[in-house]
Amino acid sequence: MNGLTNIPALSVLLILPIIGALACMVWGRRASVITVLLETTVALLLPFRVETTVFPWLRFEDWGWIERYGARLSLGLDGLSLLLVWLTVILLAVAVGLSWPRYRQSGFYALLLISCSGILGVFLAQDLLLFYVCWEIMLLPLILCIALWGGAKRVEAAFKLLLFTLAGSLLMLLAFLGLFLLHGRQTGDYSFALQALGTTVIPADLAPWLFGCLALAFLVKVPVVPLHGWLPDAYQEAPAAVTLLLSGVLAKAGIFGLVRVAMPLFPETWTSFLPVLGGVALVSIGYGGWLAFVQTDLKRLVAYVSVAHLGFIALGVAAFNVIALQGAMLQLFNHGITTAALFALVALVERRTGNRQLHELGGLWSRTPQLGALVLFFSLAALGLPGLNIFTGEILILLGAFGAHPWWGAAGMLGVLLAACYTLRMVQGVLWGSPRGPEFMKDITRTEALILGPLAGLVLWFGLYPLPFLKLLRGPVEQLLAYLVTTGGLP
Amino acid sequence: MIVPLGHVLILSGLLFVAGLLGVLLRRNLIMILIGVEVMLNAVGLTLVGASAYWRNPEGQLFALLLMAVAAAEVTVALALVVYLKRSRSTIDVNRFNGMQG
Amino acid sequence: MTEFLFLIPLLPLCGALIILFAGGRMPRRLLTGVAIASVAASAAVTLWLWPLAADQSRATLFTWFDAGSLQVPMELLFSPLAACMALMVTGVSALIHVYAACYLHHDPDIRRFFMLFNLFVFAMLVIVLADNLLLLFLGWEGVGFCSYALIGFWYRNPVFATAGRKAFLVTRAADVLFGIALLWLFHLTGTLSITAINLQAASLPPASVTILALLLLAGACGKSAQLPFSSWLPDAMAGPTPVSALIHAATMVTAGVYLLCRLFPLISLSPTALAVIGLVGTSTAFYGATCALVQRDIKKVLAYSTISQVGYMFLAVGAGTITGAMFHLLTHAFFKALLFMVAGAVIHLASGEQDLFRLGRLPKRSPMLFWLLLAGSVALAGVPLTSGFFSKDAILAACFARQTLWWTSLGVAGLITAFLTALYALRLVYLLTADREAASGHGPAPRGLVWPLLPLGALALVGGLLNLPEVWGGHAGLGRWLATPSGLSPSHGLEWGLAFVTLLLVAGAWFAIRNRYRVPTSPVSERPCVDFLIAGWKFDSLIRFAITAPFERLGSELERSLERGFTTSWPAGLGRLCQATGQKLRVFTSGSVSHYLVAMGWGIILLLAMLLFLLIF
Repeated sequence: MNGLTNIPALSVLLILPIIGALACMVWGRRASVITVLLETTVALLLPFRVETTVFPWLRFEDWGWIERYGARLSLGLDGLSLLLVWLTVILLAVAVGLSWPRYRQSGFYALLLISCSGILGVFLAQDLLLFYVCWEIMLLPLILCIALWGGAKRVEAAFKLLLFTLAGSLLMLLAFLGLFLLHGRQTGDYSFALQALGTTVIPADLAPWLFGCLALAFLVKVPVVPLHGWLPDAYQEAPAAVTLLLSGVLAKAGIFGLVRVAMPLFPETWTSFLPVLGGVALVSIGYGGWLAFVQTDLKRLVAYVSVAHLGFIALGVAAFNVIALQGAMLQLFNHGITTAALFALVALVERRTGNRQLHELGGLWSRTPQLGALVLFFSLAALGLPGLNIFTGEILILLGAFGAHPWWGAAGMLGVLLAACYTLRMVQGVLWGSPRGPEFMKDITRTEALILGPLAGLVLWFGLYPLPFLKLLRGPVEQLLAYLVTTGGLP
Repeated sequence: MIVPLGHVLILSGLLFVAGLLGVLLRRNLIMILIGVEVMLNAVGLTLVGASAYWRNPEGQLFALLLMAVAAAEVTVALALVVYLKRSRSTIDVNRFNGMQG
Repeated sequence: MTEFLFLIPLLPLCGALIILFAGGRMPRRLLTGVAIASVAASAAVTLWLWPLAADQSRATLFTWFDAGSLQVPMELLFSPLAACMALMVTGVSALIHVYAACYLHHDPDIRRFFMLFNLFVFAMLVIVLADNLLLLFLGWEGVGFCSYALIGFWYRNPVFATAGRKAFLVTRAADVLFGIALLWLFHLTGTLSITAINLQAASLPPASVTILALLLLAGACGKSAQLPFSSWLPDAMAGPTPVSALIHAATMVTAGVYLLCRLFPLISLSPTALAVIGLVGTSTAFYGATCALVQRDIKKVLAYSTISQVGYMFLAVGAGTITGAMFHLLTHAFFKALLFMVAGAVIHLASGEQDLFRLGRLPKRSPMLFWLLLAGSVALAGVPLTSGFFSKDAILAACFARQTLWWTSLGVAGLITAFLTALYALRLVYLLTADREAASGHGPAPRGLVWPLLPLGALALVGGLLNLPEVWGGHAGLGRWLATPSGLSPSHGLEWGLAFVTLLLVAGAWFAIRNRYRVPTSPVSERPCVDFLIAGWKFDSLIRFAITAPFERLGSELERSLERGFTTSWPAGLGRLCQATGQKLRVFTSGSVSHYLVAMGWGIILLLAMLLFLLIF
């Protein structure tokens, strides 16, 4: 542990999956398991023995990259990114474990690993060019996975995802370049460093446009409702591992980008953007919930559940006070765990019954009670039962949102009712009723228990004792607020 | 400098326009190639003239390079013309529209 | 010693966890033993810690949330009110657990049942003991979940599962309003501790207090099946009878009343809210009684009766007498749990027959059960000197003591309802004793189904001693123990008058029922008004027509139109737009070299012109 302070753990974290991917191509898919184990070890050891001189960070690493354009490989880790790094690593392990019996090609695992490297880069990058590069790296391998290993309409789904997100990320690049040039022209210091660019004085007529480009890129990735066109098909057609990475982590990258990139770069525009975000978030909660209620395909249903839950997180960001932000940031983790477990369970149910249509499922409890119990447990978490993790985030978000705008909190509460409607409909369709499908089904296997057991443990932990994590998030959240106050965004 | 730069420029301009007109108005591929050569030579003449005017040898170097490139280009172009003549039995450019989008 | 308070809820939780993780390897006797023992131990601990209640002991386990100004400790408050409720919950639960062990003796899924049953007791005790609204909410939703899972316990029948879902969703709808109240309370007071909120209540703006009280009332109505949200309770009878006895009669449905009692210092600041609570209570009591009058299913009679009796408790809260509400809550828990368990035993004897008009001859088959039924029914009917008589009269007396037109008329409505109550309670007795060809069954009632009922039978008869009014030579023990404001104290004349009127009403009801049902009768011919009452005033169809059906239809419509646009048509349209533009632009690539050359020429001219332009300016 002592040695870890000397080695650049963050860089190792980024490079390890790429090396792992290469190893996969050479030695087969077994290499991916070793990589995941190593990566988990490094990620879990991250918070110990931190000695850094750069103020807000737990760790900070800085390497030269393209000196000519002032782009550096600078990585920073604070409480929020630490939580998201953990989430990424956990979900990567779940994804690999879930795919193991199903996909034999090592290329699949290599692509997952590369994407993971990109995701970690997004959460750690403190340099906009690096951020952009990681942003693209995180998505393209997954799109390839969908196009190669997806369901019946895989090519169409992959294309849709590609077009939507590529349009978004190009807009983001445009905004970054615009800022880069503006900053360089004002100070003579051409740099991509996030911290430096935050001080740029942006002309009032230009700011909304640049900010709009950036916000659009992030909101497409989340996605919030009018921009979610890619989501149902992509989630439905993708292999389970890709779906759970898409909804569990990539969606978080959108919110993370809003808070950690868009806000510091455009503090003045940010406050006028918040009501828009709040409205969009409420629409997402209602619309996503409503559509989840009428879905017949189990996976598509969970996809819309995800939209609704992300709406809650966006609502917390829109409220932008300590309680709501802490709730939203915690919910990033909570939702990742729950949605990943749900998608994994959908895959397990499908493997056993060969079916995903709600009206052709049923009575699973009498055939496989343990699997049924897990479905019920994670559905209850998604429903927002107190004592489980989603409730923790939701109640904090709602308390904060009510403090910001009472109507937001009240309307958000209605979303909680919707959550009960669609979740119970799903549970009833899958678990209750007379048994259907094949006569003999295997209950949870040991591997599956090994994947889902820890997730269930996390659900309970974050539901009953979220205190350590709330403390972890307190620093970053207070910093965000303080930043907005000092830069004049907030009174 | 014996010949004033203005004269050189006027001559090369006239040559260039003549070449351009040849390229634009003729249908025969060979004639178009000749037009291109005339234009290239007009540029070469400008380079040499300017080089003499500013007493800078780089212009003449460019002219030499240009001649070499032009020779290579003509070789390839004439080979293509011969190939086209054999395969399509014509060298009228209006008959070649296979690259229509 | 206060730290032992946590044993009260945690013992049942431990029972649930043991059954969950080790239940599969246990013999059935051990499993039921663990379930019963954990609840009984909890009851014993409650009794042991009883003295602590007098000085409002509290205990904190750890901090649950800490974000910004929000602090939510896991804190229990053992007040006299909570102690009463906790003792009732643990005691009645222990008896019902014993009963259930016998009732479900042959069910293969006994492990799931007792896991959920113990979990329910845990969640209920959290509601009772929590000092923080958020912790209370944890118990609140926890009992909701257990109720959902236990109503749909026999999940192979989709109708039962649907009933469970309905119960959860209807209460959840009310919980939305409760949740909004919670958010608002935090916004106004900056805390979620019930004690702190009650202390600060007086300084809140009156308009907010009224709306807050109404929101809390809505939440309470959901859990307690009061009028706008009452429709789930009759359906909830799909669950096994012990579930109905414990959750849907004795404990969970009274959680709403308990919530209002806990927050009474806040609620009582708004006379409007109190009036509305009284109105809701009275109208629900009347509604439930009318429906119970004509039901054919024995459990549905009891379900509507529960709705009606909880309505009385709401009326008591509205009238300002916490003591009255708690008194009726306790006596109702005794006699209604008793009645449900008797019903369960009767159904058990008749091999699952629940139609009142096909049951009968109870005194011959099992005299013991008949006497227990009689004890429960007379208490329900409010026959003088039984427990129900004293608790109901206390509520009505509090109404009349207000001496305003509003409360007097509510009191009169309560009296009319009391008459109806006596009618359906006696009707139940007469129908069950009728000498008719009853549904076949087997043997005498198992002892396990009878003896847990004996203590409840005794309590149903003499439970009035808990709070015997001074007029009758008592000490009003419950009122002194709770030491809460109990409204205006009614005069002795009023109490005697009420007792007399009640006696008259019961006697009248007895005559009426005796005339109608003395000889075995067949069910009433299908008259529309009877149908209307049997269907619970057709509220279900109304809700289906007005809310759920449009919700589903509109959802499918959205899926077909708007969502199709978002996901398919519009992206595809964008693609087609690009294609069409490409087709248009194709014209420029004619493929003929001369065109390209001309274009090049023009390009050169343009470039030169630009250069010239730049040179000149």
